[in-house]
Amino acid sequence: MNPKPTNVLPPRLRAVLMRYASAIFFIALVGLWEVICRVGEVPNYILPSPSSIFKAFFDVEFSRWLSHLWATLRVALLGFVLSIVIAIPLAIAMVRSELMTRVIYPALVVVQATPVVAVAPLIIVLMGTGDVSRVLITCMITFFPLVVSTTTGMLETPEELVELSQSLRAPRYRETWQIRIPYAIPHIFSGLKVSITLAIIGAVVAEFVAAEEGLGYFIQFSTSFFKIPQAFAGLIFLAIISLLLFKSVTWIQTWLFPWSLPKKK
Amino acid sequence: MTQAADRAFVRMEGVGHCYNPDGGPMAVQQIDLEIHRHEFVAVVGPSGCGKSTLLRMVSGLLIPSAGKVSVFEKQVTEPRDDVGIVFQKPTLLPWLSIRKNVLFPLKHKFGRYSAKDEKRADELLAMAGLAQFADHMPDELSGGMQQRAGIVRALLLNPDILLMDEPFSALDAMTREQMGFDLLRIWSENPKTVLFITHSISEAVLLADRVLVMSQRPGTVLDLIDIDIPRPRSEQTIQTPEFAELTARIRKHIYEPEAH
Repeated sequence: MNPKPTNVLPPRLRAVLMRYASAIFFIALVGLWEVICRVGEVPNYILPSPSSIFKAFFDVEFSRWLSHLWATLRVALLGFVLSIVIAIPLAIAMVRSELMTRVIYPALVVVQATPVVAVAPLIIVLMGTGDVSRVLITCMITFFPLVVSTTTGMLETPEELVELSQSLRAPRYRETWQIRIPYAIPHIFSGLKVSITLAIIGAVVAEFVAAEEGLGYFIQFSTSFFKIPQAFAGLIFLAIISLLLFKSVTWIQTWLFPWSLPKKK
Repeated sequence: MTQAADRAFVRMEGVGHCYNPDGGPMAVQQIDLEIHRHEFVAVVGPSGCGKSTLLRMVSGLLIPSAGKVSVFEKQVTEPRDDVGIVFQKPTLLPWLSIRKNVLFPLKHKFGRYSAKDEKRADELLAMAGLAQFADHMPDELSGGMQQRAGIVRALLLNPDILLMDEPFSALDAMTREQMGFDLLRIWSENPKTVLFITHSISEAVLLADRVLVMSQRPGTVLDLIDIDIPRPRSEQTIQTPEFAELTARIRKHIYEPEAH
Protein backbone atom coordinates (compact mmCIF):
# COMPACT_ATOMS: atom_id res chain seq x y z
CA MET A 1 0.00 0.00 0.00
CA ASN A 2 1.17 3.49 -0.79
CA PRO A 3 1.55 5.84 2.12
CA LYS A 4 -1.11 8.55 2.10
CA PRO A 5 0.18 11.94 0.91
CA THR A 6 0.43 14.32 3.85
CA ASN A 7 0.15 17.49 1.75
CA VAL A 8 -2.77 19.67 2.76
CA LEU A 9 -2.05 22.20 0.01
CA PRO A 10 -3.14 21.61 -3.57
CA PRO A 11 -0.14 20.52 -5.66
CA ARG A 12 -0.12 23.68 -7.85
CA LEU A 13 0.03 26.04 -4.87
CA ARG A 14 2.63 23.81 -3.24
CA ALA A 15 4.81 23.99 -6.34
CA VAL A 16 4.57 27.79 -6.42
CA LEU A 17 5.46 27.97 -2.72
CA MET A 18 8.47 25.71 -3.20
CA ARG A 19 9.65 27.77 -6.16
CA TYR A 20 9.48 31.10 -4.37
CA ALA A 21 10.04 29.92 -0.79
CA SER A 22 13.20 31.94 -0.19
CA ALA A 23 11.79 35.11 -1.79
CA ILE A 24 8.60 34.86 0.29
CA PHE A 25 10.63 34.31 3.44
CA PHE A 26 12.86 37.29 2.63
CA ILE A 27 9.92 39.63 1.95
CA ALA A 28 8.24 38.50 5.17
CA LEU A 29 11.41 39.20 7.12
CA VAL A 30 11.75 42.72 5.70
CA GLY A 31 8.05 43.32 6.40
CA LEU A 32 8.48 42.19 10.00
CA TRP A 33 11.49 44.50 10.37
CA GLU A 34 9.46 47.46 9.06
CA VAL A 35 6.58 46.66 11.44
CA ILE A 36 8.87 46.37 14.46
CA CYS A 37 10.50 49.73 13.67
CA ARG A 38 7.15 51.50 13.23
CA VAL A 39 5.19 49.90 16.05
CA GLY A 40 8.10 50.01 18.50
CA GLU A 41 9.08 53.53 17.37
CA VAL A 42 12.71 52.43 17.19
CA PRO A 43 14.88 55.51 16.58
CA ASN A 44 16.55 55.66 13.16
CA TYR A 45 20.06 55.90 14.63
CA ILE A 46 19.62 52.54 16.40
CA LEU A 47 17.82 50.44 13.84
CA PRO A 48 16.59 52.22 10.72
CA SER A 49 13.49 50.80 9.07
CA PRO A 50 13.78 49.26 5.58
CA SER A 51 11.83 52.17 4.12
CA SER A 52 14.23 54.74 5.57
CA ILE A 53 17.21 52.74 4.27
CA PHE A 54 15.55 52.69 0.86
CA LYS A 55 15.05 56.44 1.02
CA ALA A 56 18.66 56.99 2.18
CA PHE A 57 19.91 55.04 -0.80
CA PHE A 58 18.31 57.50 -3.20
CA ASP A 59 19.37 60.52 -1.14
CA VAL A 60 22.96 59.78 -2.08
CA GLU A 61 23.81 60.85 -5.63
CA PHE A 62 24.17 57.96 -8.05
CA SER A 63 27.58 59.17 -9.26
CA ARG A 64 28.83 59.04 -5.67
CA TRP A 65 27.64 55.45 -5.37
CA LEU A 66 29.43 54.63 -8.60
CA SER A 67 32.74 56.14 -7.54
CA HIS A 68 32.62 54.33 -4.17
CA LEU A 69 31.65 51.10 -5.91
CA TRP A 70 34.47 51.43 -8.43
CA ALA A 71 37.03 52.06 -5.66
CA THR A 72 36.00 48.89 -3.79
CA LEU A 73 35.49 46.73 -6.86
CA ARG A 74 38.85 47.76 -8.32
CA VAL A 75 40.73 46.72 -5.17
CA ALA A 76 38.70 43.52 -4.68
CA LEU A 77 39.11 42.33 -8.27
CA LEU A 78 42.81 43.25 -8.51
CA GLY A 79 43.47 41.42 -5.24
CA PHE A 80 41.43 38.45 -6.46
CA VAL A 81 43.27 38.24 -9.80
CA LEU A 82 46.62 38.67 -8.08
CA SER A 83 45.82 35.82 -5.71
CA ILE A 84 44.92 33.55 -8.66
CA VAL A 85 48.21 34.45 -10.34
CA ILE A 86 50.09 33.58 -7.13
CA ALA A 87 48.06 30.59 -5.95
CA ILE A 88 48.00 28.42 -9.08
CA PRO A 89 51.77 28.36 -9.72
CA LEU A 90 52.33 27.76 -5.99
CA ALA A 91 49.93 24.80 -6.09
CA ILE A 92 51.62 23.39 -9.21
CA ALA A 93 55.02 23.74 -7.56
CA MET A 94 53.81 21.96 -4.42
CA VAL A 95 52.20 19.10 -6.36
CA ARG A 96 55.28 18.57 -8.49
CA SER A 97 57.91 18.71 -5.81
CA GLU A 98 57.93 17.47 -2.24
CA LEU A 99 60.78 19.85 -1.46
CA MET A 100 58.64 22.80 -2.53
CA THR A 101 55.82 21.56 -0.31
CA ARG A 102 58.20 21.38 2.63
CA VAL A 103 59.48 24.89 1.94
CA ILE A 104 56.27 26.69 0.99
CA TYR A 105 53.51 25.06 2.99
CA PRO A 106 54.59 26.11 6.51
CA ALA A 107 55.05 29.69 5.27
CA LEU A 108 51.54 29.64 3.78
CA VAL A 109 50.06 28.40 7.04
CA VAL A 110 51.83 31.17 8.96
CA VAL A 111 50.46 33.81 6.59
CA GLN A 112 46.98 32.32 6.82
CA ALA A 113 47.10 32.04 10.62
CA THR A 114 48.02 35.71 11.01
CA PRO A 115 44.84 37.81 11.31
CA VAL A 116 44.83 40.09 8.28
CA VAL A 117 42.91 42.76 10.17
CA ALA A 118 45.84 43.04 12.58
CA VAL A 119 48.45 43.15 9.84
CA ALA A 120 46.56 45.64 7.66
CA PRO A 121 47.74 48.81 9.49
CA LEU A 122 51.34 47.57 9.27
CA ILE A 123 51.00 47.00 5.54
CA ILE A 124 49.66 50.55 5.16
CA VAL A 125 52.68 51.88 7.06
CA LEU A 126 55.00 49.79 4.91
CA MET A 127 53.42 50.31 1.50
CA GLY A 128 51.61 53.64 1.82
CA THR A 129 47.92 54.49 1.63
CA GLY A 130 47.49 53.78 -2.09
CA ASP A 131 45.76 50.98 -3.96
CA VAL A 132 48.87 48.80 -3.69
CA SER A 133 48.43 48.30 0.06
CA ARG A 134 44.72 47.59 -0.26
CA VAL A 135 45.27 45.09 -3.10
CA LEU A 136 47.95 43.37 -1.03
CA ILE A 137 45.67 43.11 2.01
CA THR A 138 42.92 41.66 -0.19
CA CYS A 139 45.33 39.20 -1.76
CA MET A 140 46.52 38.00 1.66
CA ILE A 141 43.00 37.07 2.63
CA THR A 142 41.99 35.44 -0.69
CA PHE A 143 44.91 33.34 -1.87
CA PHE A 144 45.00 30.59 0.76
CA PRO A 145 41.68 28.88 -0.12
CA LEU A 146 42.82 28.94 -3.75
CA VAL A 147 46.15 27.26 -3.04
CA VAL A 148 44.47 24.58 -0.94
CA SER A 149 41.67 23.86 -3.43
CA THR A 150 44.00 23.77 -6.45
CA THR A 151 46.45 21.47 -4.68
CA THR A 152 43.67 19.15 -3.50
CA GLY A 153 42.18 18.98 -6.99
CA MET A 154 45.50 18.23 -8.65
CA LEU A 155 46.24 15.48 -6.14
CA GLU A 156 42.86 13.88 -6.71
CA THR A 157 43.73 13.05 -10.32
CA PRO A 158 43.17 9.29 -10.80
CA GLU A 159 46.43 7.39 -10.43
CA GLU A 160 45.70 5.54 -13.69
CA LEU A 161 45.91 8.74 -15.71
CA VAL A 162 49.24 9.59 -14.15
CA GLU A 163 50.42 6.09 -15.11
CA LEU A 164 49.05 6.59 -18.62
CA SER A 165 51.08 9.79 -18.85
CA GLN A 166 54.21 8.02 -17.59
CA SER A 167 53.77 5.08 -19.93
CA LEU A 168 53.48 7.50 -22.86
CA ARG A 169 56.68 9.15 -21.63
CA ALA A 170 55.05 12.51 -22.14
CA PRO A 171 56.80 15.66 -20.93
CA ARG A 172 56.00 16.48 -17.33
CA TYR A 173 54.41 19.86 -18.11
CA ARG A 174 51.76 18.11 -20.22
CA GLU A 175 50.86 15.90 -17.27
CA THR A 176 50.26 19.12 -15.35
CA TRP A 177 48.39 21.04 -18.07
CA GLN A 178 46.50 18.27 -19.86
CA ILE A 179 45.59 16.09 -16.89
CA ARG A 180 46.10 17.54 -13.41
CA ILE A 181 44.95 21.15 -13.89
CA PRO A 182 41.74 20.24 -15.77
CA TYR A 183 41.02 17.61 -13.10
CA ALA A 184 41.39 20.35 -10.50
CA ILE A 185 38.90 22.69 -12.24
CA PRO A 186 35.89 21.79 -10.03
CA HIS A 187 38.05 22.27 -6.93
CA ILE A 188 39.57 25.49 -8.26
CA PHE A 189 36.09 26.92 -8.78
CA SER A 190 35.05 25.98 -5.23
CA GLY A 191 38.11 27.91 -4.10
CA LEU A 192 37.26 30.86 -6.38
CA LYS A 193 33.75 31.05 -4.91
CA VAL A 194 35.19 31.31 -1.40
CA SER A 195 37.88 33.75 -2.51
CA ILE A 196 35.65 36.19 -4.37
CA THR A 197 33.57 36.90 -1.27
CA LEU A 198 36.75 37.11 0.81
CA ALA A 199 38.07 39.65 -1.72
CA ILE A 200 35.22 42.03 -0.86
CA ILE A 201 35.94 41.51 2.84
CA GLY A 202 39.63 42.21 2.21
CA ALA A 203 38.91 45.41 0.30
CA VAL A 204 36.53 46.65 3.02
CA VAL A 205 39.01 45.84 5.79
CA ALA A 206 41.66 47.78 3.90
CA GLU A 207 39.29 50.74 3.48
CA PHE A 208 38.52 50.72 7.22
CA VAL A 209 42.23 51.15 7.86
CA ALA A 210 43.08 53.77 5.25
CA ALA A 211 40.98 55.13 2.39
CA GLU A 212 39.14 58.20 1.18
CA GLU A 213 36.83 56.31 -1.12
CA GLY A 214 35.02 53.00 -1.38
CA LEU A 215 31.95 51.36 0.07
CA GLY A 216 33.75 50.26 3.24
CA TYR A 217 34.98 53.81 3.76
CA PHE A 218 31.44 55.09 3.03
CA ILE A 219 29.91 52.85 5.70
CA GLN A 220 32.49 53.87 8.29
CA PHE A 221 32.15 57.54 7.41
CA SER A 222 28.31 57.43 7.54
CA THR A 223 28.35 55.64 10.89
CA SER A 224 30.68 58.20 12.42
CA PHE A 225 28.23 60.94 11.45
CA PHE A 226 25.28 58.92 12.82
CA LYS A 227 23.84 58.61 9.32
CA ILE A 228 22.79 55.07 10.15
CA PRO A 229 20.20 54.56 7.36
CA GLN A 230 22.88 55.66 4.89
CA ALA A 231 25.38 53.20 6.42
CA PHE A 232 22.81 50.43 6.09
CA ALA A 233 22.21 51.39 2.45
CA GLY A 234 25.94 51.09 1.84
CA LEU A 235 26.04 47.73 3.58
CA ILE A 236 23.18 46.34 1.53
CA PHE A 237 24.72 47.64 -1.67
CA LEU A 238 27.97 45.91 -0.71
CA ALA A 239 26.17 42.64 0.02
CA ILE A 240 24.43 42.75 -3.37
CA ILE A 241 27.74 43.37 -5.17
CA SER A 242 29.33 40.50 -3.25
CA LEU A 243 26.42 38.24 -4.20
CA LEU A 244 26.66 39.23 -7.88
CA LEU A 245 30.38 38.52 -7.92
CA PHE A 246 29.77 35.12 -6.35
CA LYS A 247 27.15 34.35 -8.98
CA SER A 248 29.46 35.47 -11.78
CA VAL A 249 32.02 32.88 -10.72
CA THR A 250 29.31 30.22 -11.15
CA TRP A 251 28.30 31.70 -14.51
CA ILE A 252 31.90 31.65 -15.73
CA GLN A 253 32.22 28.02 -14.67
CA THR A 254 28.98 27.08 -16.47
CA TRP A 255 30.08 28.99 -19.56
CA LEU A 256 33.69 27.79 -19.84
CA PHE A 257 33.66 24.40 -18.10
CA PRO A 258 30.15 22.94 -18.26
CA TRP A 259 31.54 19.41 -17.76
CA SER A 260 32.93 20.39 -14.36
CA LEU A 261 29.53 21.05 -12.80
CA PRO A 262 28.01 18.42 -10.50
CA LYS A 263 25.83 16.02 -12.48
CA LYS A 264 22.09 16.55 -12.22
CA LYS A 265 20.25 13.31 -11.55
CA MET B 1 55.72 -19.80 -38.08
CA THR B 2 58.73 -17.57 -38.58
CA GLN B 3 61.63 -17.80 -36.21
CA ALA B 4 60.91 -14.38 -34.71
CA ALA B 5 57.34 -15.31 -33.90
CA ASP B 6 58.55 -18.51 -32.33
CA ARG B 7 60.76 -16.71 -29.84
CA ALA B 8 59.35 -15.46 -26.60
CA PHE B 9 58.07 -11.93 -26.97
CA VAL B 10 57.77 -11.10 -23.30
CA ARG B 11 60.09 -12.99 -20.99
CA MET B 12 60.23 -12.94 -17.21
CA GLU B 13 63.10 -14.66 -15.48
CA GLY B 14 63.06 -15.16 -11.71
CA VAL B 15 61.14 -11.95 -11.32
CA GLY B 16 60.24 -10.77 -7.83
CA HIS B 17 59.31 -7.45 -6.33
CA CYS B 18 59.29 -5.93 -2.91
CA TYR B 19 57.65 -2.50 -2.58
CA ASN B 20 59.71 -1.60 0.46
CA PRO B 21 63.28 -0.89 -0.70
CA ASP B 22 64.63 -1.71 2.79
CA GLY B 23 63.35 -5.28 2.61
CA GLY B 24 60.15 -6.79 3.91
CA PRO B 25 57.51 -9.02 2.37
CA MET B 26 57.66 -9.71 -1.35
CA ALA B 27 54.62 -8.78 -3.47
CA VAL B 28 55.55 -11.36 -6.11
CA GLN B 29 58.47 -13.79 -6.29
CA GLN B 30 60.14 -16.26 -8.60
CA ILE B 31 57.99 -15.61 -11.64
CA ASP B 32 59.15 -17.32 -14.82
CA LEU B 33 56.98 -16.71 -17.82
CA GLU B 34 57.29 -16.54 -21.57
CA ILE B 35 54.61 -14.96 -23.70
CA HIS B 36 54.68 -15.41 -27.46
CA ARG B 37 53.92 -12.75 -29.98
CA HIS B 38 50.17 -12.19 -30.42
CA GLU B 39 49.39 -14.59 -27.65
CA PHE B 40 46.56 -13.90 -25.23
CA VAL B 41 47.59 -14.70 -21.67
CA ALA B 42 45.18 -14.28 -18.78
CA VAL B 43 46.34 -14.04 -15.17
CA VAL B 44 44.05 -15.19 -12.36
CA GLY B 45 44.67 -15.36 -8.65
CA PRO B 46 43.31 -14.26 -5.28
CA SER B 47 43.10 -10.54 -4.44
CA GLY B 48 46.40 -8.99 -3.53
CA CYS B 49 48.51 -11.72 -5.13
CA GLY B 50 50.41 -9.21 -7.23
CA LYS B 51 48.59 -9.56 -10.55
CA SER B 52 48.72 -5.81 -11.13
CA THR B 53 52.37 -5.73 -10.05
CA LEU B 54 53.10 -8.18 -12.87
CA LEU B 55 51.36 -5.95 -15.39
CA ARG B 56 53.20 -2.84 -14.24
CA MET B 57 56.50 -4.65 -14.62
CA VAL B 58 55.80 -5.47 -18.27
CA SER B 59 54.84 -1.84 -18.94
CA GLY B 60 58.04 -0.62 -17.32
CA LEU B 61 56.10 1.53 -14.86
CA LEU B 62 57.64 -0.66 -12.19
CA ILE B 63 61.15 -2.11 -12.31
CA PRO B 64 61.32 -5.43 -10.42
CA SER B 65 63.69 -5.61 -7.47
CA ALA B 66 64.71 -9.15 -8.45
CA GLY B 67 65.06 -10.94 -11.77
CA LYS B 68 64.63 -9.57 -15.24
CA VAL B 69 61.76 -8.64 -17.54
CA SER B 70 62.53 -8.37 -21.22
CA VAL B 71 60.46 -7.59 -24.26
CA PHE B 72 61.77 -8.96 -27.52
CA GLU B 73 65.16 -9.80 -25.99
CA LYS B 74 65.57 -6.27 -24.61
CA GLN B 75 65.47 -5.72 -20.86
CA VAL B 76 62.74 -3.37 -19.62
CA THR B 77 64.37 -0.57 -17.63
CA GLU B 78 61.98 2.36 -18.10
CA PRO B 79 58.34 2.94 -19.10
CA ARG B 80 57.69 1.55 -22.58
CA ASP B 81 55.64 3.56 -25.01
CA ASP B 82 54.81 0.53 -27.18
CA VAL B 83 52.30 -0.82 -24.68
CA GLY B 84 48.65 0.09 -24.45
CA ILE B 85 47.10 -0.03 -21.00
CA VAL B 86 43.44 -0.56 -20.21
CA PHE B 87 42.53 0.10 -16.60
CA GLN B 88 39.84 -1.26 -14.32
CA LYS B 89 37.91 1.99 -14.70
CA PRO B 90 37.67 3.63 -18.14
CA THR B 91 39.40 6.79 -16.78
CA LEU B 92 38.35 8.88 -19.76
CA LEU B 93 38.91 12.62 -19.42
CA PRO B 94 35.50 14.15 -18.67
CA TRP B 95 36.25 17.39 -20.54
CA LEU B 96 37.03 15.73 -23.88
CA SER B 97 34.70 14.14 -26.41
CA ILE B 98 35.07 10.41 -27.03
CA ARG B 99 37.07 11.06 -30.23
CA LYS B 100 39.41 13.46 -28.42
CA ASN B 101 39.76 10.99 -25.56
CA VAL B 102 40.83 8.32 -28.04
CA LEU B 103 43.31 10.76 -29.60
CA PHE B 104 44.56 11.85 -26.17
CA PRO B 105 47.69 9.62 -26.15
CA LEU B 106 48.93 11.43 -29.30
CA LYS B 107 47.99 14.86 -27.99
CA HIS B 108 49.68 14.01 -24.71
CA LYS B 109 52.85 12.50 -26.12
CA PHE B 110 53.48 14.82 -29.08
CA GLY B 111 51.21 17.80 -28.38
CA ARG B 112 49.27 17.38 -31.64
CA TYR B 113 47.66 14.93 -34.05
CA SER B 114 46.93 14.95 -37.78
CA ALA B 115 43.77 14.49 -39.82
CA LYS B 116 45.08 11.01 -40.62
CA ASP B 117 45.17 10.21 -36.91
CA GLU B 118 41.61 11.43 -36.56
CA LYS B 119 40.60 9.10 -39.38
CA ARG B 120 42.30 6.20 -37.61
CA ALA B 121 40.53 7.09 -34.35
CA ASP B 122 37.21 7.09 -36.18
CA GLU B 123 37.97 3.70 -37.77
CA LEU B 124 38.86 2.22 -34.39
CA LEU B 125 35.72 3.70 -32.84
CA ALA B 126 33.64 2.21 -35.66
CA MET B 127 35.23 -1.18 -35.03
CA ALA B 128 34.27 -0.92 -31.37
CA GLY B 129 30.71 0.03 -32.36
CA LEU B 130 31.09 3.59 -31.11
CA ALA B 131 31.02 5.46 -34.44
CA GLN B 132 27.92 7.49 -33.65
CA PHE B 133 29.23 8.40 -30.18
CA ALA B 134 32.51 9.98 -31.32
CA ASP B 135 31.31 13.50 -30.55
CA HIS B 136 29.58 12.61 -27.28
CA MET B 137 31.02 13.37 -23.88
CA PRO B 138 32.09 10.38 -21.74
CA ASP B 139 29.32 10.83 -19.17
CA GLU B 140 26.72 10.38 -21.92
CA LEU B 141 27.88 6.79 -22.48
CA SER B 142 27.15 3.65 -20.48
CA GLY B 143 29.91 2.01 -18.44
CA GLY B 144 30.46 -0.67 -21.10
CA MET B 145 30.71 1.87 -23.91
CA GLN B 146 33.14 3.98 -21.85
CA GLN B 147 35.34 0.96 -21.31
CA ARG B 148 35.26 0.15 -25.04
CA ALA B 149 36.42 3.74 -25.66
CA GLY B 150 39.19 3.04 -23.12
CA ILE B 151 40.25 -0.01 -25.13
CA VAL B 152 40.20 2.00 -28.36
CA ARG B 153 42.39 4.64 -26.69
CA ALA B 154 44.90 1.93 -25.78
CA LEU B 155 44.94 0.70 -29.41
CA LEU B 156 45.48 4.14 -30.97
CA LEU B 157 49.28 4.06 -30.98
CA ASN B 158 49.10 0.52 -32.37
CA PRO B 159 51.08 -0.97 -29.48
CA ASP B 160 52.67 -4.42 -29.70
CA ILE B 161 51.46 -5.26 -26.22
CA LEU B 162 48.06 -4.68 -24.70
CA LEU B 163 47.98 -4.74 -20.91
CA MET B 164 44.53 -5.07 -19.36
CA ASP B 165 44.09 -4.69 -15.62
CA GLU B 166 40.71 -6.23 -14.72
CA PRO B 167 39.13 -4.17 -17.50
CA PHE B 168 35.61 -5.55 -17.16
CA SER B 169 35.33 -5.90 -13.40
CA ALA B 170 33.33 -2.68 -12.97
CA LEU B 171 30.66 -3.87 -15.44
CA ASP B 172 27.50 -5.87 -14.84
CA ALA B 173 27.59 -9.60 -15.69
CA MET B 174 25.76 -9.40 -19.02
CA THR B 175 27.72 -6.42 -20.35
CA ARG B 176 30.84 -8.13 -19.16
CA GLU B 177 30.30 -11.27 -21.23
CA GLN B 178 29.47 -9.22 -24.33
CA MET B 179 32.61 -7.11 -23.79
CA GLY B 180 34.66 -10.31 -23.68
CA PHE B 181 33.41 -11.37 -27.12
CA ASP B 182 33.88 -7.81 -28.42
CA LEU B 183 37.47 -7.88 -27.19
CA LEU B 184 38.12 -11.22 -28.92
CA ARG B 185 36.79 -9.80 -32.18
CA ILE B 186 38.89 -6.62 -31.87
CA TRP B 187 41.93 -8.73 -30.99
CA SER B 188 41.45 -11.03 -34.00
CA GLU B 189 41.28 -7.96 -36.27
CA ASN B 190 44.29 -6.26 -34.60
CA PRO B 191 46.47 -9.07 -33.27
CA LYS B 192 48.38 -8.01 -30.16
CA THR B 193 50.24 -9.68 -27.37
CA VAL B 194 47.74 -9.46 -24.55
CA LEU B 195 48.30 -9.76 -20.82
CA PHE B 196 44.84 -9.82 -19.30
CA ILE B 197 44.36 -9.65 -15.54
CA THR B 198 41.06 -10.85 -14.15
CA HIS B 199 39.58 -12.41 -11.07
CA SER B 200 36.99 -14.26 -13.11
CA ILE B 201 38.10 -17.81 -13.89
CA SER B 202 35.51 -18.36 -16.62
CA GLU B 203 36.45 -15.07 -18.28
CA ALA B 204 40.09 -16.13 -18.30
CA VAL B 205 39.30 -19.53 -19.87
CA LEU B 206 36.91 -18.03 -22.39
CA LEU B 207 39.36 -15.42 -23.67
CA ALA B 208 42.90 -16.69 -23.30
CA ASP B 209 45.34 -18.98 -25.07
CA ARG B 210 46.97 -19.67 -21.74
CA VAL B 211 45.97 -18.96 -18.16
CA LEU B 212 48.54 -18.18 -15.49
CA VAL B 213 47.29 -19.12 -12.04
CA MET B 214 48.93 -17.21 -9.21
CA SER B 215 49.19 -18.10 -5.53
CA GLN B 216 48.41 -16.02 -2.45
CA ARG B 217 50.82 -13.24 -1.59
CA PRO B 218 53.75 -13.41 -2.20
CA GLY B 219 52.41 -14.23 -5.63
CA THR B 220 54.12 -16.93 -7.60
CA VAL B 221 53.14 -19.17 -10.50
CA LEU B 222 50.98 -22.11 -9.40
CA ASP B 223 50.17 -23.35 -12.87
CA LEU B 224 50.25 -22.29 -16.48
CA ILE B 225 47.39 -23.90 -18.35
CA ASP B 226 47.02 -24.20 -22.12
CA ILE B 227 43.48 -23.49 -23.21
CA ASP B 228 43.03 -25.73 -26.26
CA ILE B 229 39.52 -24.61 -27.04
CA PRO B 230 39.33 -23.70 -30.74
CA ARG B 231 38.61 -20.15 -31.86
CA PRO B 232 36.43 -18.30 -32.64
CA ARG B 233 34.82 -18.82 -29.28
CA SER B 234 31.24 -17.92 -28.48
CA GLU B 235 28.45 -18.43 -25.96
CA GLN B 236 28.45 -22.14 -26.95
CA THR B 237 32.05 -22.46 -25.75
CA ILE B 238 30.86 -22.03 -22.19
CA GLN B 239 28.72 -25.17 -22.45
CA THR B 240 31.47 -27.47 -23.72
CA PRO B 241 32.97 -30.12 -21.41
CA GLU B 242 36.51 -28.79 -22.06
CA PHE B 243 35.45 -25.42 -20.70
CA ALA B 244 33.98 -26.98 -17.57
CA GLU B 245 37.05 -29.15 -17.06
CA LEU B 246 39.50 -26.26 -17.43
CA THR B 247 37.62 -23.91 -15.11
CA ALA B 248 37.36 -26.71 -12.53
CA ARG B 249 41.10 -27.28 -12.73
CA ILE B 250 41.83 -23.60 -12.09
CA ARG B 251 39.24 -23.36 -9.35
CA LYS B 252 40.92 -26.26 -7.60
CA HIS B 253 44.23 -24.35 -7.58
CA ILE B 254 42.62 -21.31 -6.06
CA TYR B 255 40.59 -23.06 -3.38
CA GLU B 256 42.95 -25.92 -2.48
CA PRO B 257 46.43 -24.59 -3.15
CA GLU B 258 47.94 -27.22 -0.81
CA ALA B 259 46.63 -30.08 -2.95
CA HIS B 260 49.40 -29.46 -5.50
